[in-house]
Amino acid sequence: MDTLFWALAVIMAGGILPFVLYRQFRMMKAAAVIVTIAGSLLGLLAVLPALQDTGPPAVTWSWQHFLTLSFSLDALSAFFLVPIFLICPIAALYSFHYMDHPDDAWRIAVNYFFFAVLIVSMALVVCADSLITFALVWEVMSLSSFFLVVHDFQKKETRSAGYLYFIFAQTGAMCIFAAFGLIYSSTGSLSFALIDQLPAQTKLAVFLLALLGFGSKAGIFPLHIWLPHAHPAAPSHISAIMSGVMIKMGIYGIFRIYTLLGDTSLLFGQIILAAGMISGVLGVVYALGKHDIKRLLAYHSVENIGIILIGAGLGMIGIATGRPAMAVFGFAGSLLHVLNHSIFKSLLFMGAGAVLQKTGIRHVDELGGLIKRMPTTGRTFLVGSISISGLPPFNGFISEFLIYFAAFHGLTLPGMPFLLAALAIISLAVIGGLAAACFTKVVGIVFLGEPRSEGAARASEAQASMLVPMWLLALLCLFIGIFPEPFVRLAFSGLRDMTLLGPIEPGTGQELLANLAFAARLFLGMVIAVTLLRKVLYAKKKIASGPTWGCGFTQPNVRMQYTGTSYAMSVVEFFQPFVKIRAAYSGIRKIFPGRTTYETHVDDIAEIGMTRYLVQPLARTLDRLRWIQHGHIQLYIGYIVLTIIVLLLVF
Amino acid sequence: MESILSCTLALLLAPLFPGVINKTKAFVASKKGPPLLMKYYTLAKLLRKGSVYSTSSSFVFKMGPTVSFAAAAMPLFFIPLAGLPPLFSFQGDVIVLFYIMGIGRFFTIVAALDTASPFEGMGAAREAFFSMLAEATIFAVLILFYRMNGSLSLAEYFHGDKAVSLTGPAGALLLFVIVAMFMVLLTENSRVPVDDPQTHLELTMIHEVMILDHSGPDLALIELGAFFKLFFYSAFITHLLQPLTSFGALANALIFYGVLTLVYVAVGVTESTMARFKMNLVPKYILTSFTLVFFAAILTMGFLQ
Repeated sequence: MDTLFWALAVIMAGGILPFVLYRQFRMMKAAAVIVTIAGSLLGLLAVLPALQDTGPPAVTWSWQHFLTLSFSLDALSAFFLVPIFLICPIAALYSFHYMDHPDDAWRIAVNYFFFAVLIVSMALVVCADSLITFALVWEVMSLSSFFLVVHDFQKKETRSAGYLYFIFAQTGAMCIFAAFGLIYSSTGSLSFALIDQLPAQTKLAVFLLALLGFGSKAGIFPLHIWLPHAHPAAPSHISAIMSGVMIKMGIYGIFRIYTLLGDTSLLFGQIILAAGMISGVLGVVYALGKHDIKRLLAYHSVENIGIILIGAGLGMIGIATGRPAMAVFGFAGSLLHVLNHSIFKSLLFMGAGAVLQKTGIRHVDELGGLIKRMPTTGRTFLVGSISISGLPPFNGFISEFLIYFAAFHGLTLPGMPFLLAALAIISLAVIGGLAAACFTKVVGIVFLGEPRSEGAARASEAQASMLVPMWLLALLCLFIGIFPEPFVRLAFSGLRDMTLLGPIEPGTGQELLANLAFAARLFLGMVIAVTLLRKVLYAKKKIASGPTWGCGFTQPNVRMQYTGTSYAMSVVEFFQPFVKIRAAYSGIRKIFPGRTTYETHVDDIAEIGMTRYLVQPLARTLDRLRWIQHGHIQLYIGYIVLTIIVLLLVF
Repeated sequence: MESILSCTLALLLAPLFPGVINKTKAFVASKKGPPLLMKYYTLAKLLRKGSVYSTSSSFVFKMGPTVSFAAAAMPLFFIPLAGLPPLFSFQGDVIVLFYIMGIGRFFTIVAALDTASPFEGMGAAREAFFSMLAEATIFAVLILFYRMNGSLSLAEYFHGDKAVSLTGPAGALLLFVIVAMFMVLLTENSRVPVDDPQTHLELTMIHEVMILDHSGPDLALIELGAFFKLFFYSAFITHLLQPLTSFGALANALIFYGVLTLVYVAVGVTESTMARFKMNLVPKYILTSFTLVFFAAILTMGFLQ
């Protein structure tokens, strides 16, 4: 435990240093980056022993005697610390060249400070061992990430995105605190230990409240609304951290509360599985419909959270129905997907950030042909795209496969669980197909073909400190895909302290993993063999280059290329009642028509629904109560007096 | 050893069977038709040639044929052929294989988008959409098979004691699967009524338009990959139709290839008797196949516990 706290202290120092050094811009960045990396490596060192066998004893701090903070490190915490200490230093390295405005040195120093606070608070969230500790560090995490989102506060849309995020974070936190309040009123203790003795009804209420709270952090549909606004507003390395790591704290919360409640009823699994399927499918459909590259990636986070929850839901159903194999593979797939998603999603956000920095364009339909001007960014983005689509031989496939495997085990169950398992399989298949469609769109429209605008045509490759992180993450994607065994073991070890599950037999999945690795290597080997064969076939052949065949049309121009909007439209239309397409067409009315325009927007039904049925009625009601707040100080004092009198009379 | 021979034989024979389709179509239309070995001649011709690459394209365009070929060839190592066990097999290999075909498709699509041609983009969008729907059908088939014999590998589906068969218990459900898989075969291999490789207008194509810009050995790889893929799906259906009784190696092989030829003839007959669907009917067509299989899977709740 001590090593961990030392690591966090070092990271925090990395956040404070920039305030001292902000006059030397490059040195400030270098110092912050190096210290953060050092601290994170130390942190990984502290986590490793906790993963192998039981973690260090819990640490408790008391202040006065009403505030007692306690931290402990069990297997689940240790597992979630891995992505924190793995992705954060890589993102820090990326920020070195990404934060490239020396004029804003002070603002960037503040950014590094909150960056450090965010890392530390996330690490403490997963280590928190009592209700009050958890609530405190959870709030610190939400607030520090809010300040990171509003880094570019001069822009109006950034401010409103920050405001939206703030409201969601605080409402979510309120639900979590309500759940904690229920626990406290029933057990009379702030410790985690007594939660499993709650009555069944309270357990359900606690679980639902916590699900609302953690779900709004994780971005479960329809609580995901803040994600597509906050991610584009934040700097890209912050988006990478928030999407790759921070939203997983919501998943951690769900895992933790489920473990603590110790309830094996089927309902929990069914709720989580249903939430996962809805988030998964709709997340990716909206991603297809969105054309701001960072907003699109944000919707993919909703999708991947869905996949993670499908795994977790299957695991819970496995426990409820007494199928250990289903439970183990479901939970393990879910945890592994947490790790995998943190890797490829941060890679993709970094790629998007490089594109944004070099072209200044976010809309995919104005980009194009970037792989020729930004070869490294393009190649690594391609790797990330294949991984997130869950295709072998990359890492996304391994975790999705484990979840599939769990779902197939669930098919032998009777009745409702069978149907749910079958639906889970179908949704995973559809999600996979749609994700591939979406990322062929991004890769094909942004990086391939011809540039569609000046900005895209003038782009150049990003600098070294941005390329190295992308290479590292891309290699990691491939490595996990080809050598899955140690990483699945890591996920298994994360489940070690889950008492509901019981101990996992040492040989579980050994053969399966060996076979998966074999298939991935066989495929990779075949691709290499065919590449060599192709070389032989082309030896001494005449290779010419010319324009693309225009199907007989002789004057093609770049504006005629297929766009992301047209590429995705048929799929998006297919899902229509769940996706709202707004089209505006000026029409052709005269014999010699002037300028005609056609616009489509894909609107989020969750956003529409929440505005129409929650925010507007609430605003209307509160508007009627405006008279209470009239600005007369005497009457305000009167309110206070009245309140005190009423309280005295009642209690 | 026999498995290796059988697999090699399949790889060598795959270009022969599309000739059967063409012969069938010619026969229905009372024409003479191209020779049975036409596809071999085409491949040989393409392999002799050089290539022209578009100035718009990048290395991704050249990777397209390579990856899609590897992805199309791999399933043939895992499916039992002619009554012999496959080269490799493990629990869960079907999921891996359908995802490997997915990565092949991924690269075909991005290679098409790499040419900056609006037509190829159009084909790519359709391919991505329709294959997503077809994937739902395929996984519904896997669900049904898991309910029927509790395994997740092609070898156990079609070979050995537990193999699914029309004559086995709940064999009637396989009728749904045969129809649905035939519909998926037509979709995934871009045949009429979903796609028409012979049409004259690029605007209305799906798969053919995506490979417009490929030439020479690259095109040969794509074509050969397409033959492998068609062979895989046909073999899948053949296994469902074929009686399980074993008569010895040679007879098994003859029966297998006989039924396989019939599947190709059925494709040819479908092509001769049907017109292509309008593009907006294709999703309904694929969803029909999904509904059939999902219905069958629901039926198992009644009598397979």
